Amino acid sequence: MESVFTSVLKYLREVYLGVKSILTSCFTALPYLFNRRSGDLHKEVTEQYPDPVSSRTADDLPSRSRGLLFNDIDRCTGCKACEEICPTKCITVENELGTEASKVWVAVFDIDMSRCMFCGLCVEVCIPQSLVHTKEYEGAAYYPRDLVISFGRGRITPEQRTKWAAIRQAKEAEETL
Amino acid sequence: MIIDRRTGSRPEHLRTDLTSWVVGPYHGALPGPMRVHLKLDGEVVVAGVVETGFLHRGLEKALELHPWRSTIPYMDHLDPESAVFGELVLCLAVEEIVGIVVPPRAQRIRVILAELTRLSCHLGFIARVARAVGSDTMLHYVLRDREKVLDLLELQTGSRASLNFLRFGGVVADVTEGFMERVHETVDMLRVRLKEYNDLFTFNRAFVKRTANVGIISSEFAKHLGISGPNARAAGLPYDVRKSYPYCGYDQLDFHIPLGKGEGGTQGDALDRFLLRLREIALGIDLLKQAVESLPRGPFWKESLMDNFEVPAGEAYVRVESPRGMLGCHLVSDGGKNPSRVQFRVPTLPLLQAVPDLLVGGRLEDLPVILASLDLGIAEADR
Amino acid sequence: MKPWMSAWDGLDVFPAGTPEWAVAASIVGFVYFFVIMPGAGFMAFLDRKISADLQARIGPNRVGLAGLFQPLADLLKLLQKEKRIVSGWREAFWLGLHTMALYSTVAVLPLGSMFLLVDTDMSAFMLFWAALILALGTMLMGLNQGSIPGWFGGIRVASQALAGAFPAMIGMICVGLRAGSFRWSAVAAAQGSSPLHWTVFSDPFQFIAFFVFLASGMVLLGISPLDGGLSVPDIHGGVSSHLYGRRLSLFRLGRFYGFFLWSEIAVVLFMGAWNLPLFVTDAIRNYSTPVALEAVELLVLLVKTGLVMLGVTWVARANPRIRADQITDMAWKVLSPLSLMALIGTTVWMIWVNH
Repeated sequence: MESVFTSVLKYLREVYLGVKSILTSCFTALPYLFNRRSGDLHKEVTEQYPDPVSSRTADDLPSRSRGLLFNDIDRCTGCKACEEICPTKCITVENELGTEASKVWVAVFDIDMSRCMFCGLCVEVCIPQSLVHTKEYEGAAYYPRDLVISFGRGRITPEQRTKWAAIRQAKEAEETL
Repeated sequence: MIIDRRTGSRPEHLRTDLTSWVVGPYHGALPGPMRVHLKLDGEVVVAGVVETGFLHRGLEKALELHPWRSTIPYMDHLDPESAVFGELVLCLAVEEIVGIVVPPRAQRIRVILAELTRLSCHLGFIARVARAVGSDTMLHYVLRDREKVLDLLELQTGSRASLNFLRFGGVVADVTEGFMERVHETVDMLRVRLKEYNDLFTFNRAFVKRTANVGIISSEFAKHLGISGPNARAAGLPYDVRKSYPYCGYDQLDFHIPLGKGEGGTQGDALDRFLLRLREIALGIDLLKQAVESLPRGPFWKESLMDNFEVPAGEAYVRVESPRGMLGCHLVSDGGKNPSRVQFRVPTLPLLQAVPDLLVGGRLEDLPVILASLDLGIAEADR
Repeated sequence: MKPWMSAWDGLDVFPAGTPEWAVAASIVGFVYFFVIMPGAGFMAFLDRKISADLQARIGPNRVGLAGLFQPLADLLKLLQKEKRIVSGWREAFWLGLHTMALYSTVAVLPLGSMFLLVDTDMSAFMLFWAALILALGTMLMGLNQGSIPGWFGGIRVASQALAGAFPAMIGMICVGLRAGSFRWSAVAAAQGSSPLHWTVFSDPFQFIAFFVFLASGMVLLGISPLDGGLSVPDIHGGVSSHLYGRRLSLFRLGRFYGFFLWSEIAVVLFMGAWNLPLFVTDAIRNYSTPVALEAVELLVLLVKTGLVMLGVTWVARANPRIRADQITDMAWKVLSPLSLMALIGTTVWMIWVNH
């Protein structure tokens, strides 16, 4: 059993410590009012998003950052490695035989960005390195169908297909001669 | 008859009817979509039943449906907040089955990424506790510093949260230019900031009053339920996978596991869990400094592996220390293109089982504090 | 003629022969529309801006100069969010009654030497009337929501009002002891314009009494951070969790009024009221009208009140919220003993030191 004096002292000490700690908290936060804070570069941490003052434009992102996908169709061989490895199956590739046996006409190369998880596996397996991540990250669209990005050269008509087959056969015939 | 589990001399002991309240699945106090069925006597919780499964995505099944190499991005979503640990545990399991020896440089890069993720996860934890006790100022300060850590992850891996950076046999790429310096800079800044957190928040009596003696997990209780990680260490169990079953070269690093000391209240209460996370942040800073300074030279992955990668039939069970506790992965391969079965032992599940016992006897306002101080990852519990 | 009417007598403000009730009503209307409503908007802006600065954020910056008109924009938005206009005569009647009861306390507010409509020996106690009306109304609103958050919020508001009233009362009695009366004019006359002559610095016990008075007022009215009834993390807003539209704006105005009233009374009781230095008073009297003097007094009073409110906001933003039961605990176990200590100390000080 402690004496009344001790318990009163204890009580007063508790009150004193409480007030002191509350004041400490207040004065720790106070420098922020006057823009003096420990080792920070920016005044404010948050940004108004569409404002141009934003420090984070696409150019400021690190070189490895993975944004929307871009396919350089001139270098694409239509090998479908990306389509196979894509975990969410968001890439669709359809090939046609071109005018030469070695050249593939990539008719359809659609990437459904609404399903893409930006994992970067497709870029990793792309042997001709035609598929790359851009730093672009603003991909909002009004409709899900607008999120499908098409890089293909376009489907060909049946007449073209027969025409190209004829050219190809002619070339093959030349080579065999 | 309602039995008040606390002392009988309180005014709450007056006989009153119970109130039922279903909190969730969406509520500010909850760490994710879950539901708590509360029975309240006044403001005192007399019973709480936890209902989970709102975030079930069939992750384990999804892994069986994908070829080996496509599984890694899915592992980021086991627990999106500590993404790299999901990748790490799967990579370690596959490497054990195949028998790959990971180059030391790759191992060290993995350690750096893991510790950075642990830092960001613990900072997020502090932010959630701050929100639970209504201190928005602390919340913003912590999130600001968490951004810095996420920036580091983005610089190294190209993504802030879903890293997809680890591969079977190593990592995707070497460290980027300026990464090491940035790591040094950031952890030095964090050290300064820890002092600020303490002044503003940790030693504030109002905060101590909110968390001390709230949601006590005793060491027997932790053992009984299989609670691991910081919550078990706060209860006084010196168990850390990094020490007990070292992986990724953690045995080459010099560190001590902090334990809860019961300052301000009982050992294993919410305050202890909070303080332990602060100590783990300090430990993470130490580990990062060591790892960055002693980064070995050499290749960062097994070049020969990537073409025609095949996993022979076999089984493996590996465990890592994720920010929330022991994360285990049981992997079965039948030698096919896809994994045959993957199963995870997640650290959140025992915690969810502990929640009803922790809530009983507390007040309604303790509910957010208890849930936040347990650091539940609903995503990994429901998977 | 009442004493306060004599101050307005002979001035050009009101036409000669204006009945007393018309003057009183126009003063109350003036205070409500030109002091309280703009004050609510301005303080809401300052609160948001300063909390944003403390938290390393930007805060409102879109509407008007540096976002100054953001509260106005919010008000307009809230007003057009109402789907139903009135949901029945009972609600309209109750709301009207409650609003009238609450804002009739404007008549008691001391706002300068000429705005002393109710200047009786008990007028300082009248503020409890306002605080308790506010607490009662808030509690009923919470209980009427038919939801668990509102229910708990209402009960917490009631228990806090009960816990905070006692220390607040004792803190006020300390001032009455020093001034010798609870008459506003007497309380103001007992203090000087310089801080050295304020009640709060007149003796150490008055200093304690001031903080006890302020803190217990926060408990009584549920002002952040001691607002268990509006706690967000557990009962997502408590009493205000189901409010929207015009009701929300009215509710916020009422909350501001409580906060403003309490800070203003604290300034009048402890921080020199509206007193100006004598030479300033004389100069204005000599070179200008009494109405100008009243305007300057009002301005000084409002600036001091604003500073007190900002101080409370600062403490609220930097500190975590404590539990509702800990708030009432604090009021009974810390604030009440301290206020009694201050009362005894002040008495002893007045007898032994001042005489």
